[in-house]
Amino acid sequence: MNVTDNNNPQSAIRNPQSLEILLLALADDEFILGVRNSEWTGIAPMLEEDVAFSSMAQDEIGHARLFYQMLAELTGGDADKIAYGRQPGEYLSCQLMERPRGDWAYSVVRQFLYDTADYVRLEALARCSYEPLANATQKIVREEKYHLMHGDTWLHRLATQSDTSREHLVAALAALWPDALGVWEPLEGEEQLVAEGILPASFEALRSEWLEQVAPHFYNLDLEFPAKKDERSGLYVSTVEAVYGGRRGTHTEDFTALWEEMTSVYRLDPEAEW
Amino acid sequence: MPIFEVFQQTREGHAFTHGGQVVAPDAEMALLYAREFYGRRQESHRLWVVPREAIVEINDPDLLHPPAVDRSYRNSNGYSVRDRLRATRGAVAGSVQPD
Repeated sequence: MNVTDNNNPQSAIRNPQSLEILLLALADDEFILGVRNSEWTGIAPMLEEDVAFSSMAQDEIGHARLFYQMLAELTGGDADKIAYGRQPGEYLSCQLMERPRGDWAYSVVRQFLYDTADYVRLEALARCSYEPLANATQKIVREEKYHLMHGDTWLHRLATQSDTSREHLVAALAALWPDALGVWEPLEGEEQLVAEGILPASFEALRSEWLEQVAPHFYNLDLEFPAKKDERSGLYVSTVEAVYGGRRGTHTEDFTALWEEMTSVYRLDPEAEW
Repeated sequence: MPIFEVFQQTREGHAFTHGGQVVAPDAEMALLYAREFYGRRQESHRLWVVPREAIVEINDPDLLHPPAVDRSYRNSNGYSVRDRLRATRGAVAGSVQPD
């Protein structure tokens, strides 16, 4: 069902509540991960990587900005206010993003798991019936190609370079996996979004697609893959339980600390003109 | 860590120019960083990444800037062939064998 009116994009929104939730989840994922990864600026393992990883963090914040602007137009609000002016419980990013940066393996593997999931999500949203979102994701997905190349390269490197690097990789994957599944925590109002074609497939179906896409990375590197295909439904399901909560605004103490720092300048004077 | 030289082509068919270097453990990572440093702002159509050690160099001034001795005798522009050329053409046109 196509609910888009080309002359007036706002007329496509039958249930602004659920579209807003989707946009917030997308924006907050990108924003929080971008902020976290920017912590590597100046301390990455080598200069070239420092620039590359910082630039990728900036890409994520750039994508967040697109989604916040879309939300601002939709609600008549202000993008900065949406980005910085909410209380911690109003952020809908999954908990994967707020975890401290850990060691280098942890951060690059988190980026890999998120980018592969984000890619599946963006490809689906390119067919979204809400046109501004469909258009934006088509642009963003092209930028993701570099991120995937970066993640693939590092995953392979960590798995094969030395026993030590492999140990770090295995530990990172074990720690990250339940959180990474949290990307696919069902959204409030998701059924409505699917029914209206705003979300072309449920997060459950997209999670299966993601698992299918990342499986070869694990098999090729002889890493234990914590998921299997359910013969009855034909869907890939994780054999490890997911960590949920972020999509409902439930966050850890790590988020509070991050939020306090991230919004500290904004909160000095929310009305300031810079 | 090895140094890689990066060459950029700005448009299809254009000559490659030297962009600069990246430091990386191997060619795969070098490509990753070359894209980041020399291709992120749509400034490149194609990049070549070459290990510096693969480049053989010549920069001996005796070879590349030979001393300015008079070598004009090697160049044909020291001779005037105009008159002989004209005579030969005339001879051919008149079916007369030149001497």
